[in-house]
Amino acid sequence: MKKLLGIAALLAGVAIATQAFAAGDKIREITLTTRPQAAQPQEFQFVQLIAQEWRKLGLDVKVDVMPWEQMADLVWYNRDKWDTTGWQMVGRPERSDPDELIYNLFHSSTAPKGYNFIGYNNPELDATVEAQRMETDPAKRRELLHKAQSILAEDQPNLMLVHPKSTFAFDKNVWDPATVIDQGGIGIKNTWTFISMQPLGEQKDIILNSSDNIQAINPLFISGGTDSWITELVWDRLLRIGPDGLPQPWAAESYEWLDDKTIALTLRDGMKWHDGQPVTVDDVKFSFEAAMGDEAPMYKPFVGNIEAIETDGNKVTFKLKNATAAFLTASLSKLNIIPKHVWEPVLADLGTKDENAEDFQEPAPIGSGPYKFTSWTTNEEVVLTANEDHFSPPKADRWILRIVPNTEAAIGMLRSGEINFLADFSGDPKILLDLVEQDGDLEVVSTIDMGFRYVAFNHRRPPFNDPEFRKALSYAINRDLIVGAAFRGYAVKSNSVISPALGFWHNQDVNEFKTGADVAKSILENAGYTVDGGALHYPDGVKETLAQ
Amino acid sequence: MFRLMPTNPLAAYIDPTFTEEQQLALMAKFGLDRPLWEQYFIYLKNLLQGELGDSFFYRQPVGERVLELLPNTLILTFSSLIIAYAFGIIVGAWLAWKRDSIAERTAIPLVLTTRAMPEFWLGMLLLAVFSFSLGWFPAGGTRSPGSEYSGYFDLYTSRDFLVHLVLPAATLAIYSQGLPLLLMRSNMLEVMNEDFVTMARIKGLSNWTVVVRHAARNALLPVMTSFAIAVGYQIQGNVVVETVFSWPGLGRELVNAVSASDYPLAQGAFLMIAVVVVLMNLLADLLYNLLDPRVSHA
Repeated sequence: MKKLLGIAALLAGVAIATQAFAAGDKIREITLTTRPQAAQPQEFQFVQLIAQEWRKLGLDVKVDVMPWEQMADLVWYNRDKWDTTGWQMVGRPERSDPDELIYNLFHSSTAPKGYNFIGYNNPELDATVEAQRMETDPAKRRELLHKAQSILAEDQPNLMLVHPKSTFAFDKNVWDPATVIDQGGIGIKNTWTFISMQPLGEQKDIILNSSDNIQAINPLFISGGTDSWITELVWDRLLRIGPDGLPQPWAAESYEWLDDKTIALTLRDGMKWHDGQPVTVDDVKFSFEAAMGDEAPMYKPFVGNIEAIETDGNKVTFKLKNATAAFLTASLSKLNIIPKHVWEPVLADLGTKDENAEDFQEPAPIGSGPYKFTSWTTNEEVVLTANEDHFSPPKADRWILRIVPNTEAAIGMLRSGEINFLADFSGDPKILLDLVEQDGDLEVVSTIDMGFRYVAFNHRRPPFNDPEFRKALSYAINRDLIVGAAFRGYAVKSNSVISPALGFWHNQDVNEFKTGADVAKSILENAGYTVDGGALHYPDGVKETLAQ
Repeated sequence: MFRLMPTNPLAAYIDPTFTEEQQLALMAKFGLDRPLWEQYFIYLKNLLQGELGDSFFYRQPVGERVLELLPNTLILTFSSLIIAYAFGIIVGAWLAWKRDSIAERTAIPLVLTTRAMPEFWLGMLLLAVFSFSLGWFPAGGTRSPGSEYSGYFDLYTSRDFLVHLVLPAATLAIYSQGLPLLLMRSNMLEVMNEDFVTMARIKGLSNWTVVVRHAARNALLPVMTSFAIAVGYQIQGNVVVETVFSWPGLGRELVNAVSASDYPLAQGAFLMIAVVVVLMNLLADLLYNLLDPRVSHA
């Protein structure tokens, strides 16, 4: 018995000694996921560079290459099974309001199933983004948003990399360059350009390309990215996001906040549907109620805050449940106004079936927008014709979208005149610029995007739950190197999800920080991490719980 | 088979505004919440009723989409294969006749080279030369931007369509003429040594009659079989040419459907291709009767 106790005491002593002597466990192999080089050359490139830098800190990094579908499945539906991954958010007009990104990406309520797939949880940030959502005074709201950006810069929930520049080109012998509009954060491919672009000669059709097929042309279905170019032209909205990124009157000629939960809009006179019927306030009310019902689930989140809609003469009044600053951008500039006489019978019919409005494709869609639908050939082209009766009639005759899956062919077509507006270009912008020099007829415009590229950390899996560890990994990366090597200079470095393209909201102060392996190593050292035999170990007493 | 792929079909839909209820509703809508065997029986039952289901991605009936794209694919496939086989058969027979001449010695390596060229490379080459440099042919699609046609017949008989067809069809024809050519040549060489050919010569028939009426007719049989097989192979293999020339066909649709985990659409497209292959094999069997009366007497 005595002997046994002695052994036990000895063992305990050894255990205490090792604990005091060595640091925590060795950190397991970390995976870093990326899409393949052929599909996403830039992401593939920056992931390789980042893995290299992390290895210098003593981490064992494995790069996992998989196609988008598989990666989305892993990151989205298997939230505790990945460590770090390359990711991107794309710019869209309605993201001109910072609320969507800063709230959905980081608020803890969206962590289990929503867009906070990294599992970030910070009560202080939650409170700040909730407050900015309610604040209708722009100056005060800006202060809150600046604060949220500072909190995020301190916590480094993600390794923010760059805001890429989106690059488009057009034929300047066909279109007057002075009438092409560069929308902040979006680029020259936007509704304003398609309305105002002035033809210089015989060719009056805007012929543009997309590499993606059209999924649907449906005002109640948020389908593919290219589809939205069409819906924005065929249907009007009460407000539209202007070239400056702020909402401005469109189908509504003016709006007025009666109090912080009530907004009244006046509908423009003389608007007509493409079938000749007048656009009325009833149509407007119907459009919002359609989204509030069960037949258009994708639009439902954008109208959830509406308590009641009232109409009077040519006025529509929205009563809201909570005060919200983003209502103008995220709801009034987002919902398509649809003709009640077309959709009322359709929705009534769908109400009796399993299907919803997303499954319904009008053979010839009817809107009231600056362009009318003319034809759609599967996987080949969509033709829209200028609506001369619109309050803001386009200068072009037709808008013709060609589906061109081959990027090289699209460039060739731009030079030969088969297309005259390059609206979808995923290749190297340098190639385009070289072409311009050879050709002489083309103009290329690059714009800082409101979208961004980053590496997401999975906070559910240690050591990524430690802000100091994340900060070290983030600060190890020289963003200038990424901009130069992966994006060939066609990007600006970033440390905030609110792009510098959104100048009013962007917080300049978060952009300056020192990077490099030495900076990262000292952060790790101060936080208790140690390097033993070239391998990084957890701080004192921390066990590796996830090693395979 | 498609269901062995590791992804969830909803992954193609992810959007920041997507809530869990929406995801579950979508799963239920497509029947993805039921066990796999049940999904299969539902599919079979619908198939027997001529119902291919709705595409997950496009939310539209698969049958309509597939039938809309099928004519484009068939025209491209048949026009290129008929040119390839007509050329291959004639030149193959001629080369067999000219065995050991300078013409044959230069032609065979040339043919082998075209066989070895990757399709996309050949397609890009033709694009660069005939479309972008010379400007003779348009670079993509089946029609000029914004042109209108009342139906398939109207479209397919238009000059506009034919100039659009030239480059993709030429790419496929150049790529596929090697097989019938070499096959025809080797069959001819074999047949020419047979007794009945010697007999025909002894009878004093002209060279033309010997080669065309007697030898070529017999050498043609295996080539016809390979034509039927080539059609099936080609329809699936068109995807490269359809992508290079922005041709709206079934091949591109199939590849997109597979990568978006759009099972109903992928299955529908495969089914359609299978039907065409079976029909072509039947046609080849029937043609045998015409070319070789011995078959029908057996």
